[in-house]
Amino acid sequence: MATETPTLESLQASLDAQQAIFNMHQAMNVEVFYWWCTAIMVMIHAGFLAYEMGASRSKNALAAGVKNILALAVIIPTFYLFGWWIYNAFPGGLMPVEASAALPWAQSMGPDVQDMGTGIFWAAFALFGATTGSIMSGAVIERIRVSAFLILTVILGSGVWILAGAWGWHPDGWMLTEMGYHDVGASGVVHAIAGFFTLGVLINLGPRVGKFINGVPQQIRAHNLPMTLIGLMMIIFGFFGFLGGCIIFNGGDTGWTTIYNNPTNLSAFAFNTLMGFAGGVIGCYIATRDPFWTMSGGLVGIISVAAGLDLYDPGLAFIIATCVSFIAVGAAKLLEKKGIDDAVGAVAVHGVTGVVAVILVGVFAGGTPNVGGNPAISLYGQTICAIIMAVLGFVPGYTVSYLLKKFNMLRVPENVEVLGLDEVEILAHPYPETVPAKSGTTTNVGDLEAKGA
Amino acid sequence: MGTSITSWENVSAYFTFADNPLALMLFSLGVAGIVVGLIRFIMKHEAEAFDNHK
Repeated sequence: MATETPTLESLQASLDAQQAIFNMHQAMNVEVFYWWCTAIMVMIHAGFLAYEMGASRSKNALAAGVKNILALAVIIPTFYLFGWWIYNAFPGGLMPVEASAALPWAQSMGPDVQDMGTGIFWAAFALFGATTGSIMSGAVIERIRVSAFLILTVILGSGVWILAGAWGWHPDGWMLTEMGYHDVGASGVVHAIAGFFTLGVLINLGPRVGKFINGVPQQIRAHNLPMTLIGLMMIIFGFFGFLGGCIIFNGGDTGWTTIYNNPTNLSAFAFNTLMGFAGGVIGCYIATRDPFWTMSGGLVGIISVAAGLDLYDPGLAFIIATCVSFIAVGAAKLLEKKGIDDAVGAVAVHGVTGVVAVILVGVFAGGTPNVGGNPAISLYGQTICAIIMAVLGFVPGYTVSYLLKKFNMLRVPENVEVLGLDEVEILAHPYPETVPAKSGTTTNVGDLEAKGA
Repeated sequence: MGTSITSWENVSAYFTFADNPLALMLFSLGVAGIVVGLIRFIMKHEAEAFDNHK
């Protein structure tokens, strides 16, 4: 049987064909990775849904749930309209650069045979934005108007956080290029921003009726604590999608990098995510012995090490998470003493922990070089950027909620709050075959003190 | 009627109206309108519900 002798040209053609197949599969792998990260991130919202409904009194359970579902539904289209453009247009600060390809009428913002990246990254970022909305959502339950909440959540989830993302979570962001900012797992750009935005809102929103009597904090009990705990564990599951979405799956022979283009890998993330989770649970359990806070400790732990997830020794990550848990619990107690009614501790768990996490990268990983001529990580740079994150979150949250309050658009009337939002707004009952629960105001000591914290 | 391609040869963006920026802007306005409309709808519902429970 005669065989053709391969020529140089035929070998080259075969090699080119193989390379094209390899490149296509690599691009598909990137898509597949971020597709599943995004899908897993949806679990964060399922978790927030369960946890907020459980944390509410039964008279407000469905209202809390509907509010949370709508937050996801408004952040996705508004992130399509302007969130993705903000990320691409503002890495240099407040002056936009050319980013017309990220506008909603650009050809790149839709199905494109040649573009296997934009849609999948947009989706992941939209879900990051939705997470910020959900962080705020739990803190304001049982008294905020849904309309006001949706206005605030659009500003936070499709505006404020992504501006912070452009500054500190973009390969050309000024915080990286000027300050060497390091926040791979979004402790600052997502959690600190959302937490301090929420603080601004809570100041104007005020506490729930019955939360403070003569200035003394009362315990308002969750109507379904087990559902809240399961919801929190679902958020932890979703965190693996969230953190997976924080790493860059590169083509070619580069492999994994951080969003700052520094080398890393999923193994690094795996070590420190789990060690952070465990440390946080243990820390919050010791600090409170309270089931809600024990489970919230998992969030505190992961957020506390997320900024340096690629750099920490796992043992150090565990110790950081344990120690930061005490700071988070202390911050929650302090806020309550100051008259802030944060129904789920979001400001402490996300805001305070996020800021501390960013600073701790400067403490423990200062001097670590960045690639591309960017400055090395420093305590100075991390501290300045952490302060900027807190302020960038707080100011718009406070300002917009202040305006809503001035126009009487922020809070439901007191009689509605007493009656229950489900009865008035939702026209449905979460447990129609049971006797409606009464207001959970029972004791005259603060939540945490009552639980032995 | 909205297709932007006549063949799959050398295609890049192929979604409906991809070759018509004006239409895409109108759709974007529609998206914004629905979000704003939702919030207005909820405000109206809240006002009515609160009035009914005064």
